[in-house]
Parts: sequence; structure tokens; C-alpha cells
Amino acid sequence: MEVGQLQRRFLEYTASLFNQGLLDGQFAQLQQLQDESNPDFVLEVVSLFFEDSEKLLNDLTIAVGQHIVDFKKVDAYVHQFKGSSSSIGAQRVRNVCIAFRSFCEEQNTEACMSCLLQLKQEYSLVKDKLQNLFQLEQQIVEAGGAVPMLEY
Amino acid sequence: MGSLLRKISIKYPSFAEYWRTNRRSPQNRRIFCRDAEHGDFHCANAECLSSYYSVFVARLAIMAMLAILIGLLTLLTWHFTKVYTNKSLETLAYGLRYELLQRPILRMWNIFNSTVEITTAQVKLSEFLIKKYGKPVNQAEQVELYQAMKDVTWALFASHKALKSITMNYKNGFVQAFHRDHRSNNTFYIYSDLVNYSISGSYDMNMLSAHRGWNDQSVHNNISAIWFREPLDPLTGEKTGKAMPIPPDDLINIAGISQVPDGVASWHVAVSKYSDSPLLSAALPVLDSSKQKSIVAVVGVTTALYSVGQLMKELVEFHTGHIYLTSREGWLLSTSTDTPLLMNSTTGPKLMMAADSEDVVIRSGAKLLQKSYGSDTPANHTVHIKDAKLGNQLYYIDSFILNLRRLPMVGVIIIPRKYIMGKVDRKAKKTLVILISASLSVLVTGCVFIFILTNGVSKEMKLRAELISHLDARRKAEASSNYKSQFLANMSHELRTPMAAVIGLLDILMCDDCLTNEQYSTITQIRRCSTALLRLLNNILDLSKVESGKLVLELAEFNLEQELEGLVDMFSVQCINHKVEIFLDLSDDIPKLIQGDSGRVVQIFANLISNSIKFTTSGYIVLRGWCQNPNTSRNARQSSFAQTNSISPNKTHDENFYKKDNRLILCFEVDDTGCGIDPSKWESVFESFEQADPSTTRLHGGTGLGLCIVRTLVNQMGGEIKFVNKSGPGSLMQLYLLLRAPIDGTTEHYKLNFPEHNLTVLLALGGKMGRLIMSSWLQQHGISTYEACDWNELTSILQELFQDGSYIQNLPNHSSIAEKHNTGDTRTSTFIIVIDIVLLNLSTGIWKEQISFLDRYRGRAKFAWILNHDTSSNIKKELSKKGHLLMVNRPLYKTKMIQIIESAIRDSELQTKINPLISTVVDREMHECLEMGPIQSEGKLEGNHNTSDGFEKNSSKPFLSPYAAVNNCFVELTEVHSDKNDLRRREQDQRGTSNDIQCLTSSNTRGSQTSLQGLRILLAEDTPVLQRVATIMLEKLGAEVVAVGDGLQVVNALHFVPKPDKYQEDSPQADENPGSQTEESCFSTYDLILMDCQMPKMDGYEATKAIRRSEIGTTWHIPIVALTAHAMSSDEAKCLEVGMDAYLTKPIDRKLMVSTILSLTRRTTI
Repeated sequence: MEVGQLQRRFLEYTASLFNQGLLDGQFAQLQQLQDESNPDFVLEVVSLFFEDSEKLLNDLTIAVGQHIVDFKKVDAYVHQFKGSSSSIGAQRVRNVCIAFRSFCEEQNTEACMSCLLQLKQEYSLVKDKLQNLFQLEQQIVEAGGAVPMLEY
Repeated sequence: MGSLLRKISIKYPSFAEYWRTNRRSPQNRRIFCRDAEHGDFHCANAECLSSYYSVFVARLAIMAMLAILIGLLTLLTWHFTKVYTNKSLETLAYGLRYELLQRPILRMWNIFNSTVEITTAQVKLSEFLIKKYGKPVNQAEQVELYQAMKDVTWALFASHKALKSITMNYKNGFVQAFHRDHRSNNTFYIYSDLVNYSISGSYDMNMLSAHRGWNDQSVHNNISAIWFREPLDPLTGEKTGKAMPIPPDDLINIAGISQVPDGVASWHVAVSKYSDSPLLSAALPVLDSSKQKSIVAVVGVTTALYSVGQLMKELVEFHTGHIYLTSREGWLLSTSTDTPLLMNSTTGPKLMMAADSEDVVIRSGAKLLQKSYGSDTPANHTVHIKDAKLGNQLYYIDSFILNLRRLPMVGVIIIPRKYIMGKVDRKAKKTLVILISASLSVLVTGCVFIFILTNGVSKEMKLRAELISHLDARRKAEASSNYKSQFLANMSHELRTPMAAVIGLLDILMCDDCLTNEQYSTITQIRRCSTALLRLLNNILDLSKVESGKLVLELAEFNLEQELEGLVDMFSVQCINHKVEIFLDLSDDIPKLIQGDSGRVVQIFANLISNSIKFTTSGYIVLRGWCQNPNTSRNARQSSFAQTNSISPNKTHDENFYKKDNRLILCFEVDDTGCGIDPSKWESVFESFEQADPSTTRLHGGTGLGLCIVRTLVNQMGGEIKFVNKSGPGSLMQLYLLLRAPIDGTTEHYKLNFPEHNLTVLLALGGKMGRLIMSSWLQQHGISTYEACDWNELTSILQELFQDGSYIQNLPNHSSIAEKHNTGDTRTSTFIIVIDIVLLNLSTGIWKEQISFLDRYRGRAKFAWILNHDTSSNIKKELSKKGHLLMVNRPLYKTKMIQIIESAIRDSELQTKINPLISTVVDREMHECLEMGPIQSEGKLEGNHNTSDGFEKNSSKPFLSPYAAVNNCFVELTEVHSDKNDLRRREQDQRGTSNDIQCLTSSNTRGSQTSLQGLRILLAEDTPVLQRVATIMLEKLGAEVVAVGDGLQVVNALHFVPKPDKYQEDSPQADENPGSQTEESCFSTYDLILMDCQMPKMDGYEATKAIRRSEIGTTWHIPIVALTAHAMSSDEAKCLEVGMDAYLTKPIDRKLMVSTILSLTRRTTI
């Protein structure tokens, strides 16, 4: 594929991610932080995020699945999740986290369960999208082009 | 009673008026209550009413008790008076009555006695005569006897005038009698014919017993007997007339033997034909002297009871009433009236019963007695009847018995009550009336007194009720005010958060390149509005904070001058738009460093200046400041403003105090030429939401909160603010603040030695006020000045000065300096021309010629240009080309002037060496030096961040050193690069200008901005993603980052690192040395800690506490910035409470982070 086409697709894709609200300005900032000294910064951070998130989701699933839910613990997990998701700009995940926390405060187990499900969905969605994005990036790099900078 | 009251009311009209008003008062009072409370407090009203009623009832009760008391007293008084009087009177009256009755009875008794005496005497005499003469044997003897008897009898009769008659009835039937007619005053001798009587006639006792003695018939009805009556001379007893025969027994009763059946004296009451009163007749027998007591004659004496009646009449005439005597059977014997005592019947006059008396009173009295006692009269016959009603009058009736043997008599006295008790009764009535009226008046007076006395009580109660209701109202009002403050605080916070978000988003949007110009301008507009709104919210929050007493001033060292210069810089941009000049005129005695709340101080001046700008359309705004130390008087340059009443705290008694405590009184003035404020509004404008002229709101906007906040802040700093009279337009506001000088006491002032350099400054400034201020300041420091206000003047002065190649002074006020110049070495003196860019004619192309004209003097003078913020880059370029490198932005103030002078001096020194290369290098260094010390104040004030002061100085090679152009946040970037608007960000990147924070265009300062260069930052963050992001972010900014995963590691990291070495511990001032700081920080410790709040093992709060604990006792204070996902104020408060210095929210906003870090590290590095 042509580099230019790839680049355009990349841009469009990124824009769509922003438009869907999956990502926000924080992600853009991350991208801006990436430079020659840290060529894979975004990828690094995002994969850190993935690792962290999966661990947290596992913990959360266990915690919520308990007979007697320790909401404090759940809240701490969700708080952490919220921090990391907002740091990479995964806006929708973060929003779910916020809702999740409020349910935690209410100690609403049912709502927490549904929130967890939602969280997982959102997470997998954003994961897919980001992975696609990185694939595209990879392709561009392989094709010898430069990853275009997003303008925000 | 009514009349009495009326009299009183007539006598005391005021009293009556009072009475009436009092009677009306309830209504008045109620109306008053309603008026006072406007019906807002119904309960209070009811309370008032109820209290009024309770007072009313209490009053009534007291009055009633008084009335009862007085009534009882009256009754008792009256009763005792009357009863005792009555009793004593009754006793007296009884005695009187008794006495009255006793006297007729005594008279009666006397009459009886005298009658009896006479009778007895007659009997005794008769006995003697009869015995003397013995038994008459013949007629002659008989006659002789009778004659003797007649003489004796006459003697007795004549000696007793009261006697009615004396009769002698012999046993032979011969009668001898003397009779006295009281009416005709005649005296008669009555005798019977002797012929018919035998001498031997004897009283046969047996016969008597058989025929009841002498047959009375023989006497009375002795038809054969002839009686003669002989009138006698009453005195002598001589015969005055012929004896007339009369029928026997015609005139008088002759007592016969029948009346003395047992030989004892007898009494009876008789009536006679010729007397209208009953007669008392007594009869005694004359006994024979022989052994057998035989009756030889009967003596009868009659006495009229007339005299008793007479006595009674006399008594009754003196005392009123009636007296009568009756026999026991009730026959009337004598009365005090003239009514007849006898009743004419067919059988002649008869005695009448008292009940049949013609006198009404006696009759009714007798009937009453009869009725009440009937037949069974009391044994002693003594009766006392009080208050017997006879006819229409009350009478006392008393009866006594006179117990004579054979003739018991009853005396009755009837006295009208009126006679005895009449006066007493009348007096009693009067007394009663007087008593009642007196008591009533006492009652009324008492009631009035009670009313007056209780009036105070009721008033007090009313007032108390009012007070209670007022207190209640006040409490409510206070509570509502409190609620208001709380509400405001909460709401403004809640509003501020989204506003901050809006502004942040706008910033992001403004960085977007896709925007068209219109969109961009719209967004700029929106942002401006949002900022204004945010400021308003901040104001409200401040106000509510102050009101709720939560505002705490911090105590930190800061550079007042720098802060104020930054402030003036900031506002001068606005002033330019308003065609207003703003000047800062700070006295030299103000210490450089001052302890206080810099943010709040700046806020005060920002508010005041913005206020002035708002209302000043042309002219100037001057912020003057001086230090009011006891030993520093005000500078002479202030005298031109005729300070009549400047604020001067009482320094005489505070002097020592301030000195000891390092306190400073800093006085400031904000002087403008705006519309001014009416003196009557000088106080009210300091109220919240109060503006001098409400109509200006439309024109200028604003809420009227600014001055209120200013005043509360000033007051909190122990100062005072007020308006002062000002000659000329505008307003003059004076305030003083009580701040502390730094503890170490290094209040270093500028110690400039300008006179050494033999300086002359030509101030070619457009604004008069600024020129005046600057020139006076310069003159103070021994620098001679010239002034020019427009181009023509400038050229003339220049020509004048330099026409001979050396400057010669003509101006009188500089003569001394001019002499100095003349005598001194002119070569070493420095001439500085400060030119305002506005003096050039920028509208046409003439300015280039003007610059060329000035070029001629280049060698002889140093030029410094005052630029406007909107001075186009063309001009700047042109100036740079011409070699005018000294350019500063408006406004010109002391620091800038000093810098100008310093650079000029240095320049001239270098020029003497004629080494341009070094010169540029020095310039470059100096520029950097000047670049140091950016003013941070606005960052605190508005959340934006001002990175540099307004000093702009291009190096000699602007294009070779692309970073040299120091950005000023108030110079809009478009002004420098106006032709490349669309590419502005990249342009900026290339040029490496540090970005204006407000624009947040700092996104792409790759490799160029290293604002955190040289800082060592310890990052504590457990989330790997965040840790990584933050690390990269900070590293990009040039900081050295050490990342740890939890609080424990933070503490450990700090502890493992060698403690701040001796050098730093021993000299805290070392922190202020930038050179040593940068070196120290490389190996000693961290400059700052970024701390996540929620971390495993040990969270941020705990870690901070631990760190702060370990710092106790050292002078070291490591700045800790909290990083938290919480966005609530309580978290912020908690952060600050545990000892953190600042607070950042996730996700990290880089700009905010940088500014925060810089502000914290700067504090230690300055």
C-alpha cells in the first residue's frame, strides 16, 4: 500500500477514535511526548496500560464475584483503573470507572456487576482500536513513511 | 359618687385626659405592635398581646384587692362607730327614760303619801275629839262635837291645797265635808241635816258583816236626808254665802263604811261628776277608843291626780314623747296629754282603758303592749321595746310598775326614737356617706397609682417581648446570612470547577490549527468571557471565605516591588487600549523582601487598579507606595499632591512595637483621573454589591465586589483603606498595610551610586505624570534630567545640548549638576535618552526619518526606547537595525529605569574598550541576567502564568540568537508574527519563544523548552501507565526524574540520599543563591516530590506526614506536590493539611504542572 494512503488512513482512524470519544486529548499529549529519544513511547505506555488493566480487571472480577463484596477494595481497583485509563486518554473507560465508583459508594452490587461488564467491553473495544492503530503505524513505518502527527 | 368623679375630672382635666388615653391605650398598643413588626412575626405579636393581657389582668386583680380592702375597712369603721355609739346612747337613753318615768311616779307617790298623811291626821284628830267629847248625850254636845270636828277638818283641808275634799261620815249618818272646786276656785262646806240622825246610832259590827256594814244606801239614797252646801272663803273658811240644799252625794263621794270593811285604810280611784280627771280617794275608819274597836266614823280624802298629769306634761314638753300611768288593769290614770281621761257613759263618767285613749300614740302604744304581751305581762311589769313602729315613727316604749299596796300602777313612757337617736342616725348616715366617698376616692387614687406603677412594668414587659422577638429575628437573620455565605462558598466552588474545565477546553481548542480566523476570534472571546466569569466566581468565593472567617493569610517572603511591577505590566496592556497611562511610583525605602501573603496583596492592588482602569477613560493611574517607618518621613516628591489627610497610623505609641516586631507600615495610593466618586459614596462603595453609580454597571460592568474584597483583605492585614479628597478629577484612594519585614532584617535598599557615573537622562515621554515621577526620582539619586513631551521639544533639547558637541545646560533647576558636568570629565559622563515610541509619528512613514535623525546623536548618547505592546515588529526591526538595542515595554518604572541605566553604564564602559564582540556577549549575558526573576504573581491571581517581566532587550544579533526575544505574556504573539498567523505555533517553536500560558500552545516545544532544567524530581506513582507518562513529561521539560511506586519508597529514597549537606543546613540563605542551588541539587537531594495520593503500602498523605516529621528541626523544606484523581476541595484541603505545597489533578495538565513546579522551586532558588 502506498505510504500516503496509509498515512491518510491512519489519520482518519485516529480521528474516528477521537470522534467516538474513545480517546481524548491526553492521548494526543502522549503522542506529542513521543520523539526521537522515545520512539515507542506511546506503544510502551499503552502496552503498560494493557497489562495493568488486565491485571486490574482480573482482580476486579474476583473482588466483585465474592460472596461479600469488599467495596473498599473494589473502589481502590477502580480508582487505579481510572487513573491509568485517564492517563492514556481512554475516555470512555474512564467514564465507566467514574460511574463504577459512584456505585461502589452506594454499595450497589448489581450495578457494580453490570459496570464491570461494561468496563470489560469498553476496555476490549479500546484495546482493539489501539491495537489496530499500532498495526497501522507499524505498517506505515514498514512502508518507510513517517507516522503523521496529529494536530489538535 | 358620679358627681364626685365629675368634680375630680373637672378639677384635673389632665388627669381625666390621662384616664381616657389609658383607657384607649390597648388599641394603641396593639397598633404599635403591628407597626413595629410589620406582621412578620405573628407569634411575637401574639406574645406581645398575651403579655399585655397578663399585665392587664394583674392590674385588675391588684385593683380588686385594693377595692375589697378599702371596702372592708370602711364597713368595719362604720360598724364599730355606729354600734358603740348606739350602745352607749341606748344605755344613756334607757337611763333617761327610766328617770323620766320615775319622776311622775314619785310625784304620784308623794300625792299618795300626802293624802295618807292627811287622812291619818284627820283620823287621829277625829279620834281625839270624839274621845274628848265622849258620848254625846244631847243635841248640843253633838253639835259642839261636830263644830269642833268641822274646825279641825277645815284646818287640815285649808293646809293642803291639793286636796279635793275631806269627808267625815259619822256612824249616825251625819256627813261633814269640805270640797274644793279647782276649776271655779270655790270652796264649799257640805253637811247633812242633823235632824234625821240619831245620836245613838251605832255601827253594828254584826250588822256590818251581815249587811256589809253600813248600808250605803242609807247614805246615798237617804232620801230623807237633806244636804247643804255652804260656800266658804277658801282662805279663811268664813261663810260667804247661804247654805244651799243639795241632793246628797251630788258633788262628792262620801267615803262610807263600805270602803273600810276591815278597818284598814283603803285606796281607790274614783271619778267625779265635776272633775275631768280621776280622783284618788283614800278612806280610813275612825275607831272607838274603847276596848271594842268599833268604827265611829269614816274619814275620806280625795285628791285629784291632775298634778301628776301636770308634771308629766312639763316633762314631755321638755323631752318629747308621751307618758301615761295606768292601773294594773289598764285603766288610764294620767297622761301627758290633754286628752280626757274619762269616758262619758250613761252611768256618768267612767275610767277608760289606755287602749281606748283618744291620743293616737298612747292608744297604739298600749295596743302594741297588749298585743305583744297580752294578758301575761311580766311579773315585774317592766318592758322595754325598742324601735316600736307607731304610725310612721319609731318609738322606744318602756313600762315600769309602781307596786303600791292595794293600788299597783304601771307607768308607760313612749319616746320617739328620733329624739334620742335622731342626731346619731343622721350623723351615722353622714359618716357613712363620708366614709364611702373617702374610700372611693382612695380606691380611685390607688387604682391610678397602681396603673402608673404597673405601667412601667408593663412597658418593660412589652420591651422585653420586643427584645426577644428582635433577638429571634436577628438570630434568624444571622442564620440566613450564614446559609448565604455557605451557599455562596459551595456554589462558587461547584461553579468554578466546570468553569475551569470550560477554560481548559477552550485552551485546547485554541491550539487547534484547523480553526478559521473567525472561529479563533470567537473562541478567544469565549475564553475571555469565561475568564471574567471565573474571576467573578473567585471574587464571590473570596468574599464568602472572608465572611465565614475562613480566610487565612499566609506568611511568606516575597518581593513586593517585583509583584507590583508585574501587576503594572499586566494592566498597562489594558491601559494602552484605554489611552490611559499607568505608573508605579514606589519609594526607595520599601524593603525588597516583605513577609506577607503575596497573592492577597497583589489581589488588593489588582482590584484597585482594575477598578481605576474601568472608570478612567483618559489620563493616568498612579500607584504610589512608601514605607511609613517612624524614621522615614515622606519623600519630598509626594508633596506636590497636597496630602491634607493622609493615612497615618498612630505611630507614636506603636513605634517600638513595630520596630521590635519587624513590622512595616506600607502606605499606598491609587490615584486616577477617572470619573471619581462622590464623597457621600466613599463608604458605601466598600459594601458588597455596591457601586457608586448603579448606572455605570451597564457601561463598565462589574458586580461591586472588588472593593469589598479589597477592604476585607486590607483590614485583615491590619490596614485601612479609604478615599481621600483630591484636587482635580478622579479619585484618590489611600491604604496602608501592616506587613512584616523579613526576620533576618536584610532590608536592603537600592544602593546605587549613579552620581559616580555622571549621568544625564533625557526623558522624552508622552505622559506627563510618568515623566514627572521618573524625573523626580532620578533627581533624587543625583541624576540630572531633561524632559520633553513631544518630538519637537525633544529635537530642540537635543540640538541645544549637542550643538557644540558637548551639552551645556540652561535649565535653571539643573544648574548645579550642569556645572558639575562642565567642570567634570565630559567624556566619562553618560547621556541617556529615553524615548517613548509614541513620540514618533507612526501613522505615516516619517518615523523612519525621525529615527535616522536620532541616529546622529548615537555616539553621544545611549538610546532607550519605550515600546508599546502593540508596537509593530517592523519598527522593532528597524530600531534594531539602527542599533537601538535597549528597548523596554511600557510602562517605565524604577526597576526598568535602573536596568536601562545599568546597561547604559556598562555599555559605555565597554565602548571605551571598543570591543563590540565582547559587548554583544556582555549584552547577551546581561540579557539573561535580566531575564531572571520572572514575576509569578499573576499565576496565583488568575491561574495564568506569567513567565517573564516586561523587560525586553534584543541582543545585537537577534537572528543569530533566536531565543533572545523574551516573551512577554502581554505581547500578543500575533504582533510579532502577525503576518504568519496561521503558522504561529510552528513559528513559535522555531523561535523557541516560551509560550504564553494562557494560550496553552506549549504543546510542541520539543527539545526547546527546558523550563525544568536541572531539577531533580522524585515521582511517586503506583500506576505504571501514569508513572511512565509523567516521567516522560518531566524529562521532556529537562527535569531529572526518579520514579518510585509507593510512599514507603519515597520516604526511603529521601533517607538513603545523603541528607542535605552541611553547607545547606548551616546557611539557609544558600537556597537563595541560584548558582549554588543548581550545583547542590545535582547530587544532594530532590528539588521536588510529585506524590500520588492513593498508593499501596503507604499513601501520599502518610508519606508526606512522615517527610514533614523528619524535617522538623531542620530548615529544609522539600516541596511536595500532590497528584490525585480526586477533584474535590476536601481533598485539596487534606493535601495541604498534611503539609503538601500544591495540588495537581490527574490527568496531568502539563502547563499547570510546570507552573506549579516552577513556582515551588523558584521560591527556594530565588
